[in-house]
Amino acid sequence: MNGPLFLHTWRSQRSKLLVICVAIAAWSAFLPVIYQSFGSQMKALVDSGVIPKQLTNFGGGDVFSLGGAIALGYAHPISIILISIFAIGFTTSAIAGERQRGTLEVLLARPLARSQVYVTLLAAVLVFIGLVLAAASVGTLVGATIVGVIGELVVGRLPLLWLNGMLLWGAIATIGLAASVSFDRLTPALGITVAIVIVSYFLEILGSLWPDAQGLQPYSIFHYLTARDILNGTLNLFGFGLLAAVGAIAIGIALAVFPRRDLAAPS
Amino acid sequence: MDALVTSGLTKHYGHRELPIHRPGQRPVGAVRALEDLTIAVREGEIFGFLGPNGAGKSTMIRLLLGYLHPTAGSATVFGRDIVRDSVEIRRRVGYLPGGIALYDSLSGERLLDYLGGLTGRPSKRRAELCDRLELSTRTLRRTVRDYSRGMRQKIGIVQALQHDPELAILDEPTEGLDPLMQRAFYGILDDLREAGRTIFFSSHVLSEVERVCDRVAIVRRGRLVALEDVASLLERRKRNVELRVAEDPPRLDGIPGVSSVRVLPDGRITCQLDGDVGPFLAALAGHRVTDLTIEPAHLEEAFLELYEDAEPEEDETSPDAAAQADAAASPGPSTARAPR
Repeated sequence: MNGPLFLHTWRSQRSKLLVICVAIAAWSAFLPVIYQSFGSQMKALVDSGVIPKQLTNFGGGDVFSLGGAIALGYAHPISIILISIFAIGFTTSAIAGERQRGTLEVLLARPLARSQVYVTLLAAVLVFIGLVLAAASVGTLVGATIVGVIGELVVGRLPLLWLNGMLLWGAIATIGLAASVSFDRLTPALGITVAIVIVSYFLEILGSLWPDAQGLQPYSIFHYLTARDILNGTLNLFGFGLLAAVGAIAIGIALAVFPRRDLAAPS
Repeated sequence: MDALVTSGLTKHYGHRELPIHRPGQRPVGAVRALEDLTIAVREGEIFGFLGPNGAGKSTMIRLLLGYLHPTAGSATVFGRDIVRDSVEIRRRVGYLPGGIALYDSLSGERLLDYLGGLTGRPSKRRAELCDRLELSTRTLRRTVRDYSRGMRQKIGIVQALQHDPELAILDEPTEGLDPLMQRAFYGILDDLREAGRTIFFSSHVLSEVERVCDRVAIVRRGRLVALEDVASLLERRKRNVELRVAEDPPRLDGIPGVSSVRVLPDGRITCQLDGDVGPFLAALAGHRVTDLTIEPAHLEEAFLELYEDAEPEEDETSPDAAAQADAAASPGPSTARAPR
């Protein structure tokens, strides 16, 4: 961990971080409103059989309960895109982007071990993701309070939801960083990471909407984001462990590859 | 004491030569960027490292700073191994990369603060360097993206030297600087030399190398072809002489040190002069010399001679080899002159 590098990273990302935190807090505040406003009508609509039941189970969320609405918010493409700005965008450009721009030259000319650079950037992105997820929790609380459904929420379970989100997005961030340290150009690092996330997300959504594809869900890391279960009081420790293991493997790969790589002169 | 020592330092890129290849094409194999390079740079000297694009200059610098890992051989900087002690070495080194890229969104001042902070040593020379390179406080407050190429190069020089490193590795340091700033930069180098700092200087500008360096190493296709004092290299070079006499031309053939004598139709006499000028001047005695020019030898001629001596190789003109540019030299055995 290197103080000046962390500080520089923080300064360069803080405006973006603020905007994303506000956006995700607003989005998270909106979901209790949807639940409170349309939950009962939607349930009646589904019970009438007009809408297939599977379509109401998008990514493990629904709008018939507060927990389901919050889970829907976590799995929705809006929050996926917002959190990906750091978990994918920042991580893939952290090394490969600097390498492509040529600024990695001046950074690595300083007395810093490459592993130290990696650990500092990893710490920075975990802080960013942690703050974004915390903003989502705050937004949920604010939204639930405004529409008067806070009583349906066990607030003490929100830290576990935050931890579950951290493990998922932390794992994605470590994959992004591992790709970033492995390439000289941003495009392949970004492409590989985005491909992994899109395929994984697709498997989870497909399985949640189509019963025949449910067998694919365990192969998706998004399957182990169990927001509704956590808010209902069920903890999937295996899922927590699996996400932690994915992150640990990606960290191990990055720490093995980056210090050993030859960094030829930028073209 | 030596600041920098390499022993058989070798760097190959790519894969081992494949046994199967298309008829008429050379086999795809490892690119030999640096081959068995052995040099020693003394503390307190300015050491020039010369060679054309693709000769292995950047590879050498990148090995010293830990960007690359050697294929064979070893090197030490201030007695520390470049592989094991890379971080400790970089603490004592300042580096100016060729065609430096900077963080465009930062101001010059913030950038220097940031890079100084990463170095972990006080930036005690910054004010003096900025002053000499005419980087005003107002300029330093502007963002780097608004800087001209020359200004970026000045910032590059300051970031490399602000913490007063014991060894400065400078790759094409005057690129983009106007003649006045080049002069200011040479003054900075002179001061560093006086302060006992070591400078490893890579450049294409041979007049500049001649002006500032104590010794030079010349590399070709990753191999060392010469390692010598600039003064001795020039001493051994022939000087070009041109003279005009009022009457019959003097007999210069057979005069020690004089060669390639030619009498031109317009009456001018040209020749080359090697070593002591005494016998040549003695031969002119008694002749009414109306004009005489003795052009001093330049490093450029020595450099070109060393390169012309080597037979051209097939790969030299191949697009593949050219594309390797700075990263590596072309494969194939070198026919260059052995190190002296």
